Amino acid sequence: MSADQRLTLRRRLFAFLIAGVGAATAAVVSFAMTVYEAANPKVVPVVAPGQPIDTGRWIITIHEARSGSIPPTGTKPLVPKKLLMVEFDLNNRSASTSNVFLRLFTIDPPVANLPPPVLYLARDKWIASGVNPDMPERMIAVWEWPSAAPLPQQVRLRITSQIHKRRDNLYGAPGWFDRDPVAVVAVAVAPEATGTAQ
Amino acid sequence: MMAAAVQKGERRRYWLSLAALAIVLPLAIVVNSWESAVAWRERNVRTALVAERGAAQSYAGAQWQLTGLTRLAEGSADAILIVVEFEAAVDDPELVRKGACEVVLTDDKERRWLPAFIPARAVRQARPAAADKPRCGALLNAEKGNTIKMAESFTIPASATGLKVFLTVAAARPAYLIFK
Amino acid sequence: MTGALRGFVAIAFAAAVLYGLQRTTPGYGDITSPIRVTGKPGQRVEASAFSIVTGKVHLARSVTIRSAGRGQALTTSGVWVLVEGTAEARSESLGLTSAQWLGPNGVRYALSQRLSTAPGILPAQRLEPGLPKPVLMAFEVPQGQLSGGTLLVARSAWTPLEEEVGITMTDIRPDDIRPFLVLARSEGAVPWTLNAQ
Repeated sequence: MSADQRLTLRRRLFAFLIAGVGAATAAVVSFAMTVYEAANPKVVPVVAPGQPIDTGRWIITIHEARSGSIPPTGTKPLVPKKLLMVEFDLNNRSASTSNVFLRLFTIDPPVANLPPPVLYLARDKWIASGVNPDMPERMIAVWEWPSAAPLPQQVRLRITSQIHKRRDNLYGAPGWFDRDPVAVVAVAVAPEATGTAQ
Repeated sequence: MMAAAVQKGERRRYWLSLAALAIVLPLAIVVNSWESAVAWRERNVRTALVAERGAAQSYAGAQWQLTGLTRLAEGSADAILIVVEFEAAVDDPELVRKGACEVVLTDDKERRWLPAFIPARAVRQARPAAADKPRCGALLNAEKGNTIKMAESFTIPASATGLKVFLTVAAARPAYLIFK
Repeated sequence: MTGALRGFVAIAFAAAVLYGLQRTTPGYGDITSPIRVTGKPGQRVEASAFSIVTGKVHLARSVTIRSAGRGQALTTSGVWVLVEGTAEARSESLGLTSAQWLGPNGVRYALSQRLSTAPGILPAQRLEPGLPKPVLMAFEVPQGQLSGGTLLVARSAWTPLEEEVGITMTDIRPDDIRPFLVLARSEGAVPWTLNAQ
């Protein structure tokens, strides 16, 4: 009887050991990968303006940037404002109309007190509503620059990407999820053509 | 022989567990959805309180009275406007302020018409006093002793018959008020 | 031998069944997708809460909204599709806020917000039971997605298991695309007029 018991005990111990070794290996490998990724961050490629950038849901082509005091609607605002305008092409590659393009690109390095941009449709010269799939549109992103800071000569735009998951982790529903920035575009800011103040 | 007895005991436990599942599963469903069921039952209006024209009816901490029921032409041949004016003399502001009040016009075919967000132009021309009165959302500012005058307007087909005005305030459900 | 083989076959069979189940399980998006009531253009299609009939379909390269004498021409890289229709609520007042054009390749084009202030545009209309109301729907669609498209109308685009009406728009010919279309307000029963120019 006691020999049998000792045999099953040894078997159990052996099983624990194998499972423990597996778990320990997994923990060590995961930790090592995190440390390695933190030490060698992925380099975000710098793309020249005019090149189409595939961000998953959108294909963006940044064309030019300019500064001015008149927004694309053409009506001068009552309070004088400093505006940074970036003109780009947007192509919707998803399967439905989307108007989620507010956080497509951000100014890098971030500027203090900068409100989020307003996106205009260049075709209408009015605020953009939704971009349909397979119908590329030219848009203008307008940032109202804080009065304290001077308008930059060159602006770096960091462009984020999104992936489509057919089944997400919470409900198993399809959706688009933000991922790492996929490109950085440095554009020179052309000053306003008609020389009004600033 | 001991092995046979052990097996028989195991089989009994197996079948008993399976039978218990028939009781435990419905019990789990009931326990999990009890609160939702209670909330649904409370939302369903069941008890009617009728407020006759000219008389005040106590409901949800206030005395309600229908002060006006007007039919107006809407402009097209088959639609008419109904303007319902009513007032609430507040006794208990806490109950009245609970919000989520709803005024619905129904007919004998059980179709429901919800009030317009803003009164139509015809209402403003024919009954400007009613067009100025707030909708029943004004109950959120109830003070004790105040009488709040409200008006709601509905666009209904001219052929609708058997019209009744239902009013519910969230705090007093499942009771509801019918203006006749 | 046969014992091990039988075990192996049993495991392989179970794996195949599980794989088939995994591949054919509908996702959450499919389980909660709107329930479609199909119909034909020109025919009254009845969902449980509302009913809709489609009328004339206008195709144009650009639409001009004429209001207060001014007019702004709205161009598009595809084709403007303006669908006239009549909608009615069945038992309770409601508004139909979602209309989509489902192209033959499965891509959905939502109502164009550029015409959101047009007279009679569908999301702004309050439908009352017993009172059919003329409604207008406007989409921007690439030319290749016109024929064989389906019009999807629902109360809301996001409510799970919402009932939607799907009308397969046959009889749309790319020859009918006009260069200009003028949309103006009108005081009659139909609150808009559409004229090709």
